Amino acid sequence: MSFELNTYAKNNEAFTRAQQLIPGGIYGHQGPAEGCYIPASAFPRFSAKAQGSYFWDLDGNRFVDYMCGYGPNVLGYGDPDVDAAALEQLKIENCVTIPSYKMVEFAELLVDTVKTADWAFFAKNGGDTTTLAIMTARAHTHKKKIIFVNGFYHGVAPWTQKIDYPGVIPEDVSNNLYVDWNDVPALEKLIAENEGEIAAFISTPYMHGNFIDNVLPEDGYWQKVREICTQKGIVLIVDDVRCGFRLNLAGSDAHYGFEADLICFCKALANGWNVSALCGKEFLKSTVSGMSYTGSYWMSAVPFAAGIACINKLKAIDACTEFRDKGTKIKEGLIAAAQNNGFHLVVSGEPALFYLRLADDDSLMLHQEWIAECVKRGIFVTNHHNHFINHALSYEDIQFTIDVAEDAFRTVKKNHPERA
Amino acid sequence: MVDTRTQAYINLFAVLGTLENLCELVPEAAELAQTPKPIAIGFDVKDGPAATLTFKDGKCRMEPGIGKVSVHMSFSSPAQFNAMIDGANPPISLGVILNMNFLLKQFTPLSKLLESYMRPTPEQLEDEKFFEVSTTLMFCTISVALSQIANNDEIGKFSAAHTPDGDIAFNIADGPGATLRVKDGRFLTLKKKGDNPRAIMEFESIKLARQLFDNEVNALGCIGTGRISMRGMINMLDNLNRLLDRVALYLA
Repeated sequence: MSFELNTYAKNNEAFTRAQQLIPGGIYGHQGPAEGCYIPASAFPRFSAKAQGSYFWDLDGNRFVDYMCGYGPNVLGYGDPDVDAAALEQLKIENCVTIPSYKMVEFAELLVDTVKTADWAFFAKNGGDTTTLAIMTARAHTHKKKIIFVNGFYHGVAPWTQKIDYPGVIPEDVSNNLYVDWNDVPALEKLIAENEGEIAAFISTPYMHGNFIDNVLPEDGYWQKVREICTQKGIVLIVDDVRCGFRLNLAGSDAHYGFEADLICFCKALANGWNVSALCGKEFLKSTVSGMSYTGSYWMSAVPFAAGIACINKLKAIDACTEFRDKGTKIKEGLIAAAQNNGFHLVVSGEPALFYLRLADDDSLMLHQEWIAECVKRGIFVTNHHNHFINHALSYEDIQFTIDVAEDAFRTVKKNHPERA
Repeated sequence: MVDTRTQAYINLFAVLGTLENLCELVPEAAELAQTPKPIAIGFDVKDGPAATLTFKDGKCRMEPGIGKVSVHMSFSSPAQFNAMIDGANPPISLGVILNMNFLLKQFTPLSKLLESYMRPTPEQLEDEKFFEVSTTLMFCTISVALSQIANNDEIGKFSAAHTPDGDIAFNIADGPGATLRVKDGRFLTLKKKGDNPRAIMEFESIKLARQLFDNEVNALGCIGTGRISMRGMINMLDNLNRLLDRVALYLA
């Protein structure tokens, strides 16, 4: 089976216009630089519409979207139940001087749903909640140092960046300590070296860093980390912005059998409606209530209504089981397609957020070629980041994906006769 | 935010080191580098870099460390060496006196010739050949400066420590190329295109390279349009970009 290749004339024209007015044309992770569009010519720039598990670009090319807006699209673009709830709320009120009662309803739902949650604090982006989590830990412990896991990503606030990033000064990161994933002895050593100075340990539930195979927690890892943090009075923060509600609706800490003190949610919380939440244990509730931390749109009612509908629907459809099943089918299909063409595809991480890497060279160049060939054929995948499953993705879409992947592998194979 | 010691490493290996390329590319420079017998100048900076610049048969070669030299120039500090690069007189020694003829009549004009290519006037750049040589020399200087920053500057060392091992190809498509060899967080620049890089950053043309060096175009925008192509281990290139940011600071 072979597929027609996309062309991007209108995308490119729009990008040229964008570059006149917008830094970089498209900045950040949704742009060609940070988005690792390699080669740039293989990727679309702007979407024209989105529905279910698809988006269409300005040239009318359709893509089965495995990035899901980098996570928010958990039920499908334009999910009728979520959007109906949001639009119904919009008719009533949205951004008002005092908050809508929807905020309370949403908090009640999260506390009922998330195992570790005794309370919920709402904001807009994942980074709002990771920053609040760090501030809360420092306010509670009156300590300043934070332990990060190497390869981390917790947003874009200066404290989350590295000393060599533009605009970051050494003081922004001078209290950051680093340890390798799954390395309990190193964590114990680091804590001993900084005895009495550590406010928090922050980590994603498993290592889903970019450019590297994703790594699940070793047996007992999280339980040991929990034990150490409790012993040492260190606040345990789980950044569940990316994985939240895709592994387990009770939280990814529950998925791996432990309880965080603070847990950060965003992406899948409201199916694309803009809201994030920090949830936490009772002993931190008083501290967080005293924080000077708020924003103009943080108590808008429409995203709360969307969030309530989203969480309820995820529960009703047993979404996490479905995501695991669909992710597993994609994983198996892609690995087989690679093998059929003499390639070795490594699929790592949780199936609901699978990460891809062709292991046939040590430079990722073959991998990037294959990803580009997939994108040109209408499957939106990336060469550097984990992917996301959504409810609207059908089993026909999955078969289409595998067929496209096979055609893309054939093309890469043909383009590299030296590998034969 | 500029570290004097790192600046000295850049001035020695990246700036004076570009004399190698000047002699290859500019006949006038090759003529100035002609000596009846080889002359080796040792630059010995206390608490800083040391290297030997050898002139032989119209060519120039820089090697790290001080070998058998005709002229041994000792500098009491990186700051003193940097001052000489910025135009102050070199320290006087017996070797300097004995080779004054070469230093005054050949080395100083060579340095000035290099400066004219490194800091050209807009009129000079209208000449196509001059433009090409000037941009190539700038490219060589930047390529070497990258490694000096990676190995010496405190923030540069952080970037280097996070760069996976292997070769990075740093190329201009229709022009020169360099290989940045990374091993255990240390960088080494080879002034030639590599055979088997793990990551490639390539400018589409020498004209674009010049525009980037002169800050006339936006690098991010060029990545978006594919005029700068990047492939391979992007985490290597990510760190290379952070080092490039600091090159601008030191070579401004």
